Amino acid sequence: MNIKARIDRLDWRRFRFWLQLAAFLLLVYGGRLAIDLGQSLPTFACGYNRGATAGVCYLLPLQHQLAQPWSRLFSPAGLEVLGGLGLFLLWFVVLNKAWCGFICPLGTIQDWITGLRKKLGIRYSSYTDEQFNQLRLIKYALLLLLIFIPLGIGGQFLSHDWGTPFCQICPARMVIPLFNGDFSQWVINFSSTGKMILTAIGMFITGLFFVGSFLKKRFFCFFCPMSAFHYIFSKFALFKLKKEGSKCTVCGDCYRVCDMQIKPIADNVTKKDILMDDCILCLKCVAACPEEGALRVDILGKPIFEATKDGFVKRMGMEKKQ
Amino acid sequence: MMSEPQERAIETSQQRHARHQGMEASEVLDVVEKSFSGNPKAMQYFYDLFRDVYCNGVKTHSGKETIGTMCVQIPDEIIHAAGGIPVRMCNGFYTDEEIGGEFMPAKSCSLVKASLGMLKSETNPYSDGIKTIVNPTTCDQKKKAAGMMREMGYQVYDMELPPVKESEEGREYWRRSVRKFTQEVTRITGKKITKKGLKETIRKVGQAQIAYHRLNDLRKHTPVPILGKDIFMLTNAYFFDDLECWTQAAEALCGEIEQRVANGFNAAGRHSPRIIFTGSPPVFPNLKIPLMIELADGVIVADETCSSNRLLNDMVSVDEWFMYDMVDAVADRYLKSCTCPIFTMNDDRIRRLIDLYRSFHADGVIYQAFSGCSVYEMEQRSVAKAMEKEGIPMLYIETDYSPSGTGQLSTRIEAFMESLKARRRNKR
Repeated sequence: MNIKARIDRLDWRRFRFWLQLAAFLLLVYGGRLAIDLGQSLPTFACGYNRGATAGVCYLLPLQHQLAQPWSRLFSPAGLEVLGGLGLFLLWFVVLNKAWCGFICPLGTIQDWITGLRKKLGIRYSSYTDEQFNQLRLIKYALLLLLIFIPLGIGGQFLSHDWGTPFCQICPARMVIPLFNGDFSQWVINFSSTGKMILTAIGMFITGLFFVGSFLKKRFFCFFCPMSAFHYIFSKFALFKLKKEGSKCTVCGDCYRVCDMQIKPIADNVTKKDILMDDCILCLKCVAACPEEGALRVDILGKPIFEATKDGFVKRMGMEKKQ
Repeated sequence: MMSEPQERAIETSQQRHARHQGMEASEVLDVVEKSFSGNPKAMQYFYDLFRDVYCNGVKTHSGKETIGTMCVQIPDEIIHAAGGIPVRMCNGFYTDEEIGGEFMPAKSCSLVKASLGMLKSETNPYSDGIKTIVNPTTCDQKKKAAGMMREMGYQVYDMELPPVKESEEGREYWRRSVRKFTQEVTRITGKKITKKGLKETIRKVGQAQIAYHRLNDLRKHTPVPILGKDIFMLTNAYFFDDLECWTQAAEALCGEIEQRVANGFNAAGRHSPRIIFTGSPPVFPNLKIPLMIELADGVIVADETCSSNRLLNDMVSVDEWFMYDMVDAVADRYLKSCTCPIFTMNDDRIRRLIDLYRSFHADGVIYQAFSGCSVYEMEQRSVAKAMEKEGIPMLYIETDYSPSGTGQLSTRIEAFMESLKARRRNKR
């Protein structure tokens, strides 16, 4: 069997579990081994996980940079913003949104919480179509806020108390340092109104994060501004999710396993580049597709993982017991 | 088989009916078996099965709780998990159609009439008796047939199927139907469905599907290693055969056909046009059109019908192996990819036909519609248009179960075959 055929038959669930675990350990503890991947990572390697994180989520430096006084931001010195963005894009184009499905520590934590729910045999929840279509806009709103609030600070419309607003409400700031025994983020900061409001919202969202991701697969990802930010650039990525509509029977297997409830993955039979904005590229859809070659993953136009009948049957445990 | 008349005993109507059924079945079986050379050896299991059930009065499920199902959408996995045996009641006997004729208007579907006729005559060939029939709300004729079945004294469970399958509402509606049915069926059989049990039956049905897919893929080869009439026999047997016996026999057939492919064996003629069969389902013994095609030097390489491909094509995909997800997954299998013409839109069916045409390297499509099967008759127009656009030759045949009028049909089919051959020559 060649390598491609082996990959197509892979027990994707297990493969992904170990890969996520490895990425989690690297990002959450790597700093202790002096690993530093820089400040432009397109994933929630939380900068508040001090001394232990192996790199920093790009949203933290981005918000800092945008909050510079306008005189500086709109001068040649402001080019550093573009530098950071360039670095972010370099990281991003390699893996596309697979950063979410395979590497993001906060995503991995949600998958573990889902694992706990499964252990208890409790049913998952899902949104209705209307809820989905309304809620999906939140991540864009958050993205706009995390850009415009810092710009407002730089333009002196807002005080510095509103600095790094998204980080203040992001559950990663509170959750990820916990893995290094750091509870220092679990406070409401009463030093100013802005800080108080943001940290209180953060506390609330963190609570929501635990409850939500227990009930709903990848609850937080649906609202993640990083995901929205990714989507802007995903067209240029090397890693692509492709669909061959003519081979699709619209059976909906991909849709029903999708943690993000992305319906077009099943229903859209004309779009070749099927990556949608909510996608986390976990590739569960490809693994659950029984139609030979209907869904596949390409890197630089070369298929590396493809839906096959054989692989489907193996993953569903339907192979003959020897 | 002819039952020897007892001393002065008069043949009851049931006996007479069984005798007529036997005669009709054996006539078709003779054609299936003897009019073609080089039948696969492993097909003998299926030929014998049909002969046993319809001619020799052997019951496949004697002493077991059988549940009649009226359409392809009734989830087998769930009935099996509750310890029941699903038997598809869609019937192909002209003998039965004549009896069923009294229930339905003259211009109605042969299949529905024949199914009602079989139920009326109470000559259940599969088991000691069927009390419960699960009838999905598919076409109008099946829907209204439910009332007549009730009148005959059967317990009929109407399983609600939505008329639109694309919408989330339709999907949820069907999932609820299936969840409700999952509870209902345990009441019928008196056996609880367990998580383990359902997982096991999903696997068992899956294995039958795997065997079918394996066989089907072999038909992509040129020369084609097996005739379409044998595939229809095989899939028709799935209607009533024991699940595991069927899978075993199908796997044996796969092995033999794989060998044939390795040897370059040709089951058809040297220039046989490769045909995709679609439309109203051929159900034994109404294999009239498929047999005509293959006797006219055609070969059916694939089909898009609910008595064959649609029955076994789509598999259950489960994400979390608990009841809640398994039942929903089973529900999705029967709705989302279903290309039944009763749904409002049917782009999927057209896409499917085009894909089959391409991937099975076919020369043309033959579309059968039973006269009175209005949904297939109505869809003819859009399918013909789409085929024309793709440059795919299609022959539309309106037919029924009656044995008369075959001369004209076979002439049309022969002419179509000749035109396909000429088309292929010209292409070269």
